[in-house]
Formats: sequence, structure tokens, C-alpha cells
Amino acid sequence: MPSKSPLTIRLTHADDALPLSQWLSKSDILRWFPMYDVREIEDAVRIWISYSRLHAGLTAEWEGVPCGLANLYIQPFKKLAHTCLFSIIVKEDMRGKGIGKALIDELAKVAKEKFHIEILHLEVYEGNPAKKLYERLGFKEFGFQPKFIKEGDHYIGKIFMEKYL
Amino acid sequence: MKELEGLDIRYSHLPDAAHLRDWLKDPVVQTWFPVSEEKEIEDAVQCWIGFSRYASSLTATVEGEPCGMGTLFLMPYRKVAHHCLFKVVVDPKFQRQGIGNSLLKNLKHLAKNYFHLELMHIEVFDANPFIHLLQQHGFQEFARQERFVKDKGKYSSRILYECYL
Repeated sequence: MPSKSPLTIRLTHADDALPLSQWLSKSDILRWFPMYDVREIEDAVRIWISYSRLHAGLTAEWEGVPCGLANLYIQPFKKLAHTCLFSIIVKEDMRGKGIGKALIDELAKVAKEKFHIEILHLEVYEGNPAKKLYERLGFKEFGFQPKFIKEGDHYIGKIFMEKYL
Repeated sequence: MKELEGLDIRYSHLPDAAHLRDWLKDPVVQTWFPVSEEKEIEDAVQCWIGFSRYASSLTATVEGEPCGMGTLFLMPYRKVAHHCLFKVVVDPKFQRQGIGNSLLKNLKHLAKNYFHLELMHIEVFDANPFIHLLQQHGFQEFARQERFVKDKGKYSSRILYECYL
């Protein structure tokens, strides 16, 4: 009998705000997001989790414990409703297990089948190793903003990527 | 271009929302904005006019009557607070009379000298006549996403421009 995968994916719910806040509070993760401190993290988590009401968020669990989230920021405008920005996070010590790929694959399925989205797009900062995963999954660059992030006197660029579903 | 007689630029006030709402209801103006339905217009107006509380929105008037608005959408997070998105709209009855130019000039001044921003950026839909003005003011394209807009089954692109202040 094949062994059951420890990885499962379910819809995000409000309780996932806690692990999401905890993961974002790690400096090695936060560096890839625009937030800076606890107040900003709480604000971003509130917005992220609010999409769970639309069933637009997915949570990955490893042996029943949350280990990653991905979210569709559903467009409020009819003219843009065929496009969607998404964000993703995987718990730091759970990397390298295929969780990110599984989340994006499932998110793309939900985007296409449930929300009739034609184009999925993302924003990633230069130097983020996740960019390689996005490329492997078929995302293509369509823009670059060189001075998007400022940390002290240091700037980090933002890369825009998209994929047609 | 000769400046329109009686043209003045002042800070936006909350009651300017009524004018903004009227302009965004105009079908030609809507061509260049994502809004197309009553609720979308109302949500956009509330978000837009909300920045008047931070004195980051300017209203153009002719003989005291509002005829256009330009707004800096200040960023809520510290690492990205050195730049901002902005939007400009001109009453369709007053277009091609230098109001957009005057708003843009004053917005750049406000962004640089009052908010100490280093760059400002804007998202426009392909073929928007405002693009010409942006280029005249030194804005450079940094991203272009094909098929971002889908209006009545027809696709068009969004183009992102930025300008260092």
C-alpha cells in the first residue's frame, strides 16, 4: 500500500493568522517582504487572512501542522478580474520539501477553476532564491523596479513575473 | 502650453469626493481607469479622497470650481516609504488645457519637498494620452503587462512608469 503523503493542502482560515505572523517575524523571511516591524506585519497578515472569506487562500500542512500559505489577492475591479496577484510563504525550517511548488500548483488550479483567472502574477525581490522556483513553474518577467526597497542606504529591486493559466 | 486662466492648485478636501465621483462616472474617463461599476467607483473614490487627510492630494480649480485631482498614495510600510504610487484625473470638460501638466508638476514638488520622496510611479493603461505628459516630465517605463485589462472582451496592457525626484 502506498504511504500517505505528510503534505496536505486545505483552505486558509482565520486561525492561520498566528503561524503566518510567527513566520513573518523571522528576519530571514521578513527580508523578502515589504513590512518592517510588528505593526506592519499585523497589518499585512490582516489583509492576507481577510481573503480566506472568499476561499482565496490555501494552507499547506505537514503531518497536520501548518507549514506554508499562499493567497490570491482577488481583484475588486471587473475589468481586471481575470488577473490576480498572489503571495506565498513557506515556514523556514520546512523548505526543500516541495511545499512551495505544491502550494503554487494548487493555487493556480483554484485561480483558474474557481475564479476564472487567466493571468497569475507575483512580485519578488532581487536575490530571493524563490525566483528560481517561479521560473521553473513557468513564470516570466515583465518588469523590474530597481529601488523598490530601501534599507538604510541600500536598495533592493522588485521583479514582476506572470504566468498565463 | 499656456496655463488656463483662473487655474489654481490647492490641497484636496473631503467634499471634492463628489467631483471625483462624477469624473470617474464618465465613460471616456473610465477607459483609463479600472472602475466600471457603481460600487467600484465608490470604493475608488473613498480610497483616493482618504489621502486628503495626509495632505497628499491636490485639487485643480478653475475660478474656484474643481476640475481635476492628483493624489500621492503614500506607502504604509517603512521600507517602501521612499516612493509612492500616484493618480491623476481631469474633468473631461477641461482636458487638453494644461491641467494634467499643472497637477503633475505640483505633485512632483509636493512629493519631493514635503514628503521627501525619492521616486514616484504610476500605472497607466496602454494608449492613455497621459503617457505623453509623463514622458515629458521624465518618467521612464519599468514594467509592461500585456492583457492586464479586459474590457468587453478586448484586452489591453498596463504600463508602469517611474520618475526619480
